[in-house]
Amino acid sequence: MPRKSVREMSAQERKRHSLTARVRRAIVRGTVLLGIVALIIGLGLYSYALADKYVTEAFNLSRNAAAVLTQVTDVSPSVESVMRIYNNLSEKERAQQNTRAYWELFSDVRSRDDYKTIESVLADFRLANDVNDIYLAVYDKKTTALVYINAYNDTDVEYAYSAGTWETVGKREIDRFWSWDGSGKLYYISYTRDYGWLCTSGVPIRDGDGHIKAFVLADVTMTGVAAAIGRFLIEYLLAITVVAVLFGHLLTRHMQKNVSEPLNRIAGAAEKYVRDRRAGEDISDHFSRETLGITTGDEVENLSLVMADMERDINEFEESITRITAEKERISTELALATRIQADMLPNIFPAFPERTEFDIYAAMTPAKEVGGDFYDFFLVDDDHLGLVMADVSGKGVPAALFMMVSKILIKNYTMTGLAPAEVLRKANDQICKNNREQMFVTVWLGVLEISTGRLTAANAGHEYPAIMRAGRGFELYKDKHGFVMGGMEGMKYTEYVLTLHPGDKLFIYTDGVAEATDSDKNMFGLDRMLVALDGASGEAPRTVIEAVSGAIDDFVNEAAQFDDITMLCIEYTGAAEGNAYEDRKQTK
Amino acid sequence: MTINTEKNGTALSVTLEGRLDTATSPQLDEALKASMPGITELVFDLEKLEYLSSAGLRVLLSAQKVMNKQGSMTVTNVNDTIMEIFEITGFSDILTIR
Repeated sequence: MPRKSVREMSAQERKRHSLTARVRRAIVRGTVLLGIVALIIGLGLYSYALADKYVTEAFNLSRNAAAVLTQVTDVSPSVESVMRIYNNLSEKERAQQNTRAYWELFSDVRSRDDYKTIESVLADFRLANDVNDIYLAVYDKKTTALVYINAYNDTDVEYAYSAGTWETVGKREIDRFWSWDGSGKLYYISYTRDYGWLCTSGVPIRDGDGHIKAFVLADVTMTGVAAAIGRFLIEYLLAITVVAVLFGHLLTRHMQKNVSEPLNRIAGAAEKYVRDRRAGEDISDHFSRETLGITTGDEVENLSLVMADMERDINEFEESITRITAEKERISTELALATRIQADMLPNIFPAFPERTEFDIYAAMTPAKEVGGDFYDFFLVDDDHLGLVMADVSGKGVPAALFMMVSKILIKNYTMTGLAPAEVLRKANDQICKNNREQMFVTVWLGVLEISTGRLTAANAGHEYPAIMRAGRGFELYKDKHGFVMGGMEGMKYTEYVLTLHPGDKLFIYTDGVAEATDSDKNMFGLDRMLVALDGASGEAPRTVIEAVSGAIDDFVNEAAQFDDITMLCIEYTGAAEGNAYEDRKQTK
Repeated sequence: MTINTEKNGTALSVTLEGRLDTATSPQLDEALKASMPGITELVFDLEKLEYLSSAGLRVLLSAQKVMNKQGSMTVTNVNDTIMEIFEITGFSDILTIR
């Protein structure tokens, strides 16, 4: 299917190609992509900051609690008592935690005064702070467990989190807590079934020798984190959307103002340009700065300037084409006129002498160009003498045609004065040579036929051999005596010869365009083919003879362009007025 | 059409090969105009000339006229085809053919 031109497209189809729409899509895509990347980074940073807040809170709480605890009491005895009992238990017994029996194992510890002090200090902290629990515990390396000394039980299990109860923890956590050097914050975040995400942070409590006795730990639920992140996401997405839309809108506006609109204006101007040209309007500045008003100072303005240049060039080109075409038309009109004038210069009405029964004559000239340098001529010098001319000017076209005119007139005029052919040629040659700076020349065969006797006096100035046909026989070339071409050199003399035509004889004179007619393979028609064509029509009237040769040439050259002028003349001598051989023969046929 | 010119002092020898017709004659005309000044002996070798039209004859005639004034012109190695053209046109009368 052929592509639609832009002119044929609907507004919707054009929109598909809109730069603005494309830019808008690209901007939205880009902003969204950027937003997602920023979101991932932002989320990470936000989560970290949020988590850090919880960690700091838990860490500060545990540090404060540890400080207060150490102030008010020595935790060592209670810790040691619990751990002693715990360590003496078998694995199986330890598994019995959260039972009354297990709970009772530690009742002594729980009743100690210093233990109660610990319990009350921690309880105060729990009450005063928004915290899951603040508790005292020991990370036991041997059993990889966190053993509670004092913790708050907020579960349904009655004896949970009492002194001596324990929880399995990772070895890594244990190592970290035990090997803490006091820098940074000691914490870990874990997920528990009961409290969800939990941040556990703590500080060790040391005895007088600096040995770690236990840890004060604070658990802070990070429930707020998920909600905060959710809120953050919504707000962020909202903000990104607003920014993307705003950004897209602004950029699109910018694009429209600086690119699309100017481009559309140029496209519109181009359309108008085409419309105006078709309508023949004479407007010459469709693309100028004044008309389009594009001052973007970038490629778009460049384009408009180039278009303006192009319009100017096209206009100039068109003007010159119009001028050249007009000139060409004028020349071709003149040439057509010249063709007619030249054709009219040659006797071309046949039969030429309907009242003369002694001879029949026919001639034709086909120029290769509009006008040619070949010519034939025949005229009655007086009642008994017929002048016959066949000539070929060197070259073709207008120069040859001009030269031909002069030659033709000179030859005819001299012949009409009754001069013999050789003398006519000599005089005409001298005349032509006088003003022949271009060194053109013309080959001429001139004959004067004495009608009453058939005596043909002829002279040849460098022209082709005439072909003669004696009644009842074939055509053959008559190798006459040749003189030099006319116009070549002043003072040339020409030889004259006499040939007698008998009733039924035919004379065929022609120019070299016949023999040199060339087919597309550069083969020439040649004199042999000419003679064959002539013989094929030897019994016919002169007109038929010439048409036969003409037809043979056409068949031979076929598609190839005619290169040279082709001119032929044939005369049949039918005898003196008393006996008309041609008519006789026709009757006996 | 191939034109070979060979200058030897004031002698110029021109060898023509191919067809000397309306299309190629201006070439020969140019070549001769360029090399003929000062030449007293001009020799044409036409052995390989296949065809000679009236335009070609005109160039030869011009050359002959120039040489009539400044020296001599000879046409050599004329083959049968070209000889026939020279005879028909009467050029055989005015050219020195060897």
